[in-house]
Amino acid sequence: MTTTTTELTAGSTDPTGDAPAERKRGGGGFGSYLLIRFLLIFPTIFVLVTTVFFLMRSTGDPITAALGGRLPADQLAERIHEAGYDRPLISQYLSYLGDILHGDFGTTLSDRRPVTEVLRTFGAATLELAVYALLVAFIVGIPLGMLAAYFRDRYHDALLRVFAILCYATPVFFAGLVLKLVFSVWLDWLPVAGRASTGAEIQLQTLDHPTNIYLVDAIQTGDGEIVKDVLQHAVLPAVALGLLTAGIFLRLVRTNVIGTLGSGYVEAARSRGVPESRLLRKHAYRPALIPIITVIGLQIAVLLGGAVLTETTFEWKGLGFQLAQYLTARDFVAVQGIVAVLAVIVAVTNFIVDVIAALIDPRVRY
Amino acid sequence: MATATTVGTTGRTRGWQGLPIVKQVRQSVGLQRGMLLAGLVLTGVFVVTAVFAPLLAPYEYDELRDAAGPFGAQARPSGNHLLGTTVGGYDVLSRVIWGTRTALAVIVIAVLLSIVAGVLLGLVSGYFGGWLDRVLVVVCDAVYAFPSLLLAIIVAIVISGGQSSLIGGVMAAAISITVVFIPQYFRVVRAETVRIKSEAFVESARVIGASNWRIMVRHVLRNATRTLPLILTLNASESILTLAGLGFLGFGIQPTAAAEWGFDLKQSLADVSSGIWWTSIPPGVAIVLTVLGLTLVGESLNDLADPRLRSRRAVGGPPPAGAVEPGGVSVQTVVPGLPAAPGTIEGFSA
Amino acid sequence: MNSVSRNGRRTLVATAGITAAALALSACGGGSDDGDGGGSSGGGGSLTIGTSDKITTIDPAGAYDNGSFAVMNQVYPFLMNTTPGNPDVQPDIAESAEFTSPTDFTVTLKPGLTFVNGHELTSSDVKFSFDRILKINDENGPASLLANLAGVDAPDDTTVVFHLKVGNDQTFAQILSTNVGPIVDEEVLSADALTPDADIVAGEAFAGPYTITNYDQNNLVSYEANPDYQGALGAPKTDKVNVKYYADASNLKLDIQEGNIDVAFRSLSATDIADLRGNDNVQVVDGPGGEIRYITFNFNTQPFGATTPEADPAKALAVRQAVADLIDRQEIADQVYKGTYTPLYSFVPEGLTGAITPLKDAYGDGNGGPAVDKAKQRLAAAGVTTPIELSLQYSSDHYGPSSGDEYALIKDQLESSGLFTVNLQTTEWVQYSKDRVADVYPAYQLGWFPDFSDADNYLTPFFLNTPESTAFLQNHYKNDAVNALIQQEVTTTDPAARQQLIEQVQTEEAKDLATVPYLQGSQVAVVGKDVSGTEDTLDASFKFRYGVLSKG
Repeated sequence: MTTTTTELTAGSTDPTGDAPAERKRGGGGFGSYLLIRFLLIFPTIFVLVTTVFFLMRSTGDPITAALGGRLPADQLAERIHEAGYDRPLISQYLSYLGDILHGDFGTTLSDRRPVTEVLRTFGAATLELAVYALLVAFIVGIPLGMLAAYFRDRYHDALLRVFAILCYATPVFFAGLVLKLVFSVWLDWLPVAGRASTGAEIQLQTLDHPTNIYLVDAIQTGDGEIVKDVLQHAVLPAVALGLLTAGIFLRLVRTNVIGTLGSGYVEAARSRGVPESRLLRKHAYRPALIPIITVIGLQIAVLLGGAVLTETTFEWKGLGFQLAQYLTARDFVAVQGIVAVLAVIVAVTNFIVDVIAALIDPRVRY
Repeated sequence: MATATTVGTTGRTRGWQGLPIVKQVRQSVGLQRGMLLAGLVLTGVFVVTAVFAPLLAPYEYDELRDAAGPFGAQARPSGNHLLGTTVGGYDVLSRVIWGTRTALAVIVIAVLLSIVAGVLLGLVSGYFGGWLDRVLVVVCDAVYAFPSLLLAIIVAIVISGGQSSLIGGVMAAAISITVVFIPQYFRVVRAETVRIKSEAFVESARVIGASNWRIMVRHVLRNATRTLPLILTLNASESILTLAGLGFLGFGIQPTAAAEWGFDLKQSLADVSSGIWWTSIPPGVAIVLTVLGLTLVGESLNDLADPRLRSRRAVGGPPPAGAVEPGGVSVQTVVPGLPAAPGTIEGFSA
Repeated sequence: MNSVSRNGRRTLVATAGITAAALALSACGGGSDDGDGGGSSGGGGSLTIGTSDKITTIDPAGAYDNGSFAVMNQVYPFLMNTTPGNPDVQPDIAESAEFTSPTDFTVTLKPGLTFVNGHELTSSDVKFSFDRILKINDENGPASLLANLAGVDAPDDTTVVFHLKVGNDQTFAQILSTNVGPIVDEEVLSADALTPDADIVAGEAFAGPYTITNYDQNNLVSYEANPDYQGALGAPKTDKVNVKYYADASNLKLDIQEGNIDVAFRSLSATDIADLRGNDNVQVVDGPGGEIRYITFNFNTQPFGATTPEADPAKALAVRQAVADLIDRQEIADQVYKGTYTPLYSFVPEGLTGAITPLKDAYGDGNGGPAVDKAKQRLAAAGVTTPIELSLQYSSDHYGPSSGDEYALIKDQLESSGLFTVNLQTTEWVQYSKDRVADVYPAYQLGWFPDFSDADNYLTPFFLNTPESTAFLQNHYKNDAVNALIQQEVTTTDPAARQQLIEQVQTEEAKDLATVPYLQGSQVAVVGKDVSGTEDTLDASFKFRYGVLSKG
């Protein structure tokens, strides 16, 4: 299960462990674990899609949301009837399931776009932001986590840990506000919001095959100015979102390095006279990073899943941003489409993470 | 096996010194104690402020004028309004103070609901097993892995029926947080239940005719008290962040129903770039400090429960009660696993 | 396992390199790249506009909102349109338009009209445009505006005849300039289903002052002047216009302040506008606005309403009048909206032909301010015991972020008189729309943005309650005298006589107070120092025409 894997302590991944022996004791063996775990993806997706369908339908219809203030009630009712929103919920549900099984996600109600197009376009934007944010998280979280472990129980450690907590205790919209004020308004170093400036964006969109991952598109144009522009726009959102994860990484690395430092084989190496720097590098840091790999999987799901607030704060037009817009418009066709895809991504990522975790540590299998 | 010993040691009688928090404070040393105490102080200030809000706050949260006339909008900090007034003409200080009440209400309701539901489901699921267990595990996995703020928004719309009243708003935030946190309690309790169910002493208790259900509950809960405080503080801090997130996105509580920090922050967005700092900084700082306090408490408790993370000098101190061999028990891996959970959630919501 | 960790490390090192480079690059490059959005992209004659409006679709049959209509106004031609500075309609791509019989409205097109794609624009396209709106009757569409249209004929290539159900409808010419009015290409758009925006853009089915060259919905739309446009608006002053869409008004504000865009129109917060007024790098341009805010009373459920236990029409009227006496409009406009809204003393907003201010004279201190004594006397005279309990509702999410502050202040104004105890509640819009017509709210907030700039658009939809048609307010208000006046006003052909009737409706309605109007929104645009022409388009037609703006 995912939580178990998120912070596999490095001690448990002791390279001297007798994994093959464990595997046998585990019963079904790796193959059947893989299969069962794979099959579990489907009920997970089903549960989410179903839950969101019924929740969304109970919140009201998009026609009232759009025209409630302009039309008399009988005209509204007529339009709702024509759109089929007054049919029994269960029959709407069944036809919806049928549609998505055929890959037909419908057309959004509030801005008339095919949901698949919405997913592709905005999904790419969110993916781009998620990757940047992960990079920030790595660069900030891992070295600082190692430092904290190294300075364990000294004031550096305490400062770093408070920093880590502040990273995830600060609501991203508050952090975003401060970042914008400092770097955009006062220092005038970075743009306020958006993914590119107008001129650059026009050039990006007139490419033959835009991926909507702006960095890739910018490189396609071959224009260094555009690449620079796109990267500038990415800095603040990536930092705001990345710091959240950086706090988690920092804590995770610290915990794991401390765990490995205290474990038997490091002590053994120390007693063998292995130099302290080599001890840290080879014996403590490296195994401590393994759990990070599994956490990345989980974090990608998280970052893809939304960052609603980050995207909204910085006008980063990705899935999270669109989701907030569609929710306000009660556009349940769009919300359900996005949720269905998020569910798939989350379920598949969890699967991959679990498999990696099981490869590393056989004990986590059920 | 190590597990049997574990159960044995936690089963000892406790005095007041054995009370959860007190025990840990005594157990801690140096910086670790400092962090725990700092967290406790911040949390204490928060709770006290919430309880005595009517005495502390100079005005009501929805007061727009006093005998001297209307306050005016966006007034600078002054003698009458120590932190100025908001864009809507409310006293900022009063709203920050009253906001602790809303936050505390959400925390209390969310934590209570999550604990009761999570523990019950975990016990039932772990004890009975079978298809019920499998279904619950899948559902919990699905809900757990899903971005919580999105669920919170939808739940907020459903629960409040669109009414942004105090009760509607508080319940919306609390219940949506509950939905997301049930799986966390569920996991811990279920894992513990499954483990204890197969223990020899449960078997033997059954042989001597004791109700094994009662034994189960007692042992599971006893072991879980070591891990639940951490989830609990995470649960609490997550509640605040979700409440603020809902308020910020416009799905929260309206200003005339209660004071809520996220809403005030959203309203003050425009102020900041216009050089009006006093409307946004106080509620923002209030959120950060409250979450910081709760998280410090939670993380410190977690570290103290884990012998590898406890400060070195403490090892020579009192014998670690309820210590578990590293990596020896599944619960142990679950517990440190939890700090990753705020990542799951906060990466999305904060 | 070793390989996993080694790979992990390699990735780490690689990614670290990339990001460090990116950060360094952006950190040093940022400062030098100031006005990057501000039209520096397209050379001379280009302009960037920012807005927080949204586009539903650019298919006229599928949208009935400001954001979509703003695009349609630039790219589609209309038969009738308003030109800058004049709220009354005149022929756009038509040569003439007039009633040829009471129920026949005949329009003659200019000869030789074409779409950007080269297709000819004939009466057949015009007939097609109106027929499809009625046929598609989309749930988000504007078809209800054509309620009075029986059918369209195209006897020859340049003649179109509209057959009306009610004769001499004086608002019909106006309707041709609204959301139902854009003329589209029958060879590109579908006759019986909405056409995807991408197809419309690809098919260049445009014949307005501009054509769209790049369309990224709700993110960035690029326009280029259409040299073949022959309509009343004339040739655009700026060749290339880019419109950026924002979700968060504070980002819009920061971008106009930092010079990244040239124009910000709809909708900056009052605080932002107040702040920008003091900024030397931008100009804030105000124009009249057609948006109004009012409190609606439900005649059944308001205090002393028809279905309440103590039903008494006279007392109910006194309660409404007391509210009108007590509201301090200037205070709301100043404190909550910092002057971006102005006090409104009638049902028809200032700036429209026929608007008067009957509420100013009849209520409050007679000068626009509140009067507690007057309210007290009025209630005492009607035998109402005070304080009156009043439940007041507003929508938390439909009329902008300041609604909460607006209604907190109204509650405060009513309560500080000692005459009312207000139970203030808020509901999100979808539920609100259902509840208000289900008689759940005794008194509640509403706002209105006009379909067209004629006084009738503020009267018929609100107060005309006959067996055949119900006003959308559905507040159980019915006054036969008002009904008769409204019906007469709509079909009176003489402008002077019609104006008098419109004034009379307002005077009569001021006695009944089915609603208490209190604010009128101004249109506010913030533009860079070197942008001109904005004041020309901010008129009572509420159409923001990109073509009159120019830079430098």
